[in-house]
Amino acid sequence: MNRKQVQRFVLSFLEQTGCHIIEKSPTHVVVKLSPEADRALTNRHFYWSFIDRTGAEPETMTFAWHFGQPAKDGDAARGDAVPGSAAGAGAAGGGTAPASANVASGASPGNAQPGGAFSAGAAPSGTAVPSFAPAPGYRVLTEQIHFGSARLNQLFDYVRKNGRNVLLFAEPPRGVSPFRATWPYTAWLGVNFKVSYECDVKRDELYGWGISLATGVIDERFRERLQAARLTARMPEGVQLLKSTLTPRKAMAHLEAHLERKLKRGDFSWAVEAESRRLDELERVIHYYRPLIERAETAEQREALRTRMKNREAEIDWQYRPRVTVSVINCGIFHFPGID
Amino acid sequence: MRTLHETLGTDAGRRIHPLVELRYDRTAFEELERRLERNGPWDNWTLYQLAWEAEEATRIEHFHELQALRMLPRFEPLPHQVETAKRVLHDMRGRAILADEVGLGKTIEAGLVLKEYMVRGLVRNALVLVPASLVLQWVRELNDKFGIPAIAQKKEHHWDNPIVVASIDTAKREPHRTKLLEREYDMLIIDEAHKLKNKRTGNYKFASDLRKKYCLLLTATPVQNDLSELYNLITLLKPGQLGGESDFAATFVADRRVPKNRELLQEALGRVMIRNRRSDGGIRYTRRIVTNVPLRLSPEEQALYDGVTEYVRTHVRSAGVDLSGALALVTLQREVCSSRDAVFITLVNLFKKTEEGSPLRDRIWELVELIRRIKANTKAEKTMELIRGMNDKVIVFTEYRATQNYLLRFFAEHGLQAVPYRGGMNRGKKDWMMELFRRRAQVMVATEAGGEGINLQFCHHIINFDLPWNPMRIEQRIGRVHRLGQTEDVHIYNLCTLGTIEEHILHLLHEKINMFEMVIGELEDIIRTFEREETLEQRLARMILEAEGDDDLRSRIDRLGDAIADLRDSGGRKTAEWRREG
Repeated sequence: MNRKQVQRFVLSFLEQTGCHIIEKSPTHVVVKLSPEADRALTNRHFYWSFIDRTGAEPETMTFAWHFGQPAKDGDAARGDAVPGSAAGAGAAGGGTAPASANVASGASPGNAQPGGAFSAGAAPSGTAVPSFAPAPGYRVLTEQIHFGSARLNQLFDYVRKNGRNVLLFAEPPRGVSPFRATWPYTAWLGVNFKVSYECDVKRDELYGWGISLATGVIDERFRERLQAARLTARMPEGVQLLKSTLTPRKAMAHLEAHLERKLKRGDFSWAVEAESRRLDELERVIHYYRPLIERAETAEQREALRTRMKNREAEIDWQYRPRVTVSVINCGIFHFPGID
Repeated sequence: MRTLHETLGTDAGRRIHPLVELRYDRTAFEELERRLERNGPWDNWTLYQLAWEAEEATRIEHFHELQALRMLPRFEPLPHQVETAKRVLHDMRGRAILADEVGLGKTIEAGLVLKEYMVRGLVRNALVLVPASLVLQWVRELNDKFGIPAIAQKKEHHWDNPIVVASIDTAKREPHRTKLLEREYDMLIIDEAHKLKNKRTGNYKFASDLRKKYCLLLTATPVQNDLSELYNLITLLKPGQLGGESDFAATFVADRRVPKNRELLQEALGRVMIRNRRSDGGIRYTRRIVTNVPLRLSPEEQALYDGVTEYVRTHVRSAGVDLSGALALVTLQREVCSSRDAVFITLVNLFKKTEEGSPLRDRIWELVELIRRIKANTKAEKTMELIRGMNDKVIVFTEYRATQNYLLRFFAEHGLQAVPYRGGMNRGKKDWMMELFRRRAQVMVATEAGGEGINLQFCHHIINFDLPWNPMRIEQRIGRVHRLGQTEDVHIYNLCTLGTIEEHILHLLHEKINMFEMVIGELEDIIRTFEREETLEQRLARMILEAEGDDDLRSRIDRLGDAIADLRDSGGRKTAEWRREG
């Protein structure tokens, strides 16, 4: 993900979770979180359980997120033993009081001046310092968001958890239906798979496939089809849903079988190599322990050595044994016009 | 009702290739079924798409390309560190000894490897075992540099955190021990692993019994003296890598400390151990500019020095002390060269230990009287002058606490801001002192040089108020400032009182061994080889006590220096070579 992609991702997230954007520039955004986003991101469990119990009006947090090139300030970024300099998740703190260096308090008027608390160290070099003066009582936390930063990973986790299952309808095509008043719609099961190839190293493949619940036809470019379509959560007028012949479960089994056939045709030299490494390691371990076990003086010693050898063998197995894991990233039911 | 497995197939033993097991994680699908049954609730379409984007972004495309670096845009590792991480991942399959020389960033290499495995999802939990004094430093480095959420183990439930840093001495004790041995760690990292060289120790057994997938052992001194120790370390990592114990002895060991079949051994070691050396090139250092500052003691100071010297001579001859006693006596002479405060404390202690009525007591008291007459410290005044002249941050090293306290008082009296730094301070205080030095004070007065984690690259001046006799300690002092990341030339000032043993020592270290300007790291090997039988300090003390006057001492020291220089030109290089992996 480059800088622009990260920014686009973050802005989509903020929009979808109903956050209030106070200020925006090509390199940063100042945002007051929605209660939902606040719960997900700020780790304030006590605060939220208090709000939930008392029904008090929640005060969500405000962040200034910068997408610019992170500061390469040798001293601060190298973590040169500034206690607590990492407190503000990823922001290069650098004031004499690091814990507060990247918190601009709008309550004191002095800080709203140019070169106030914002530029004290947290603002990245080469990025415009936000010029706004936050409303009194707001605390604005400044953070760098880049690919790999803890904050972005948090957003990743959030969307993985909250973008799991959908049920959607494509807008009917314009024009008159050949079937007079109604459009026949077919239900599709769309599944995004992640396939992980693992031994002592790992790589992943992603598949966004779909299968028609009416005919069992499989579309390997289903994700692209979804992206091109206009989708809505509400069933459009004049739509007639065709009866499905496949249950989602049966359809899933078809998809999996199809995927397995495809995977089987793949290149397994990585597994063959991993296996030969595994055997090689095993042989070495046995060669090492056998004579020791034979020469052991007491039964106790012998047993201890046997256990150690077994443990080591199990470790090798754990490390090298080639395996493939297919996991479902997310999936949904999609209704498309047409009979297929 | 049908079970899921009836239609979707069982997971157990399912194979996609004769060698490859296939597993499914259908959690998200099972949830879809439940939601269909209950008619919702349904997630947001954009979030659904963002989830794909998140997976696409974090997807590991290739088995071998290093992924961690794109996650760490603010982190700039050095080329040899990246190279090392790659070799550990690909050639060594995640089990390796990282044996870089001090200061080349073993911690960074280990962090990089750990991060890479975490990014790939191959490591979810890891245990980092280090000496107690390094726990917090590790936690900080992993968090700050790598964004790895490591915590220091303090309470029992901390073991449940995915990434834990703990002291090995704590971990190996009950009740922790049992708990840890029941677990499986995706990665185990052990710092200062040379302490595990003896396979009969509890630490060794514990480390060996821990269940781990990947394992990194970090040490700067992989082959301290003994080949069998190296063998033990490798056995911890990959038993049998160097063959059985007897094979190893037959193939590689000529004598306990002398290897044979060097090339073969080198090749075998290269498969489990990476040792980057400063002299390998590619790692650029700034210059060291060394200035010796000769001083004449004031008549009062000289009187004390002569008095102490006389005392030492007569005492050694009369009582026939052993070597450790002799070392203690020579220390008196060294202390006089530092400050009257340093020697005073030792004399008082000596006085207390001496029997009542012994004639020595009177002699000691006479020396204390000489101390009282000293009003000024020639070295301290010179130091003040130097500091004023350079008008920049400077770190002053001394061997003695008493001298340190004296200097702090002396600087304060002259309106110079100075902060102390010593080994006994706890971590938090050390950090605080470092921070004060960085931001507020011009001067730091330090007694400890070996402490890890003092990185003072923002400072370019070192004053050696007095010199340790152990060259490695001097190297450590300089290494605090003159290290990777230092962008300026480093100025080193050696204060030296003429006509004292200090002059001899400086002559040996500077002119004979030329240690101040030696390629960094070279010294380590030479000294280690040289000190097999007796430490340099012990040799020097013996020479001083045995020498018949100053000229004799000088020629003895010259011979010692020649011997070291020879070693450097021939033997030192050889021992250095066989350890260097190809």
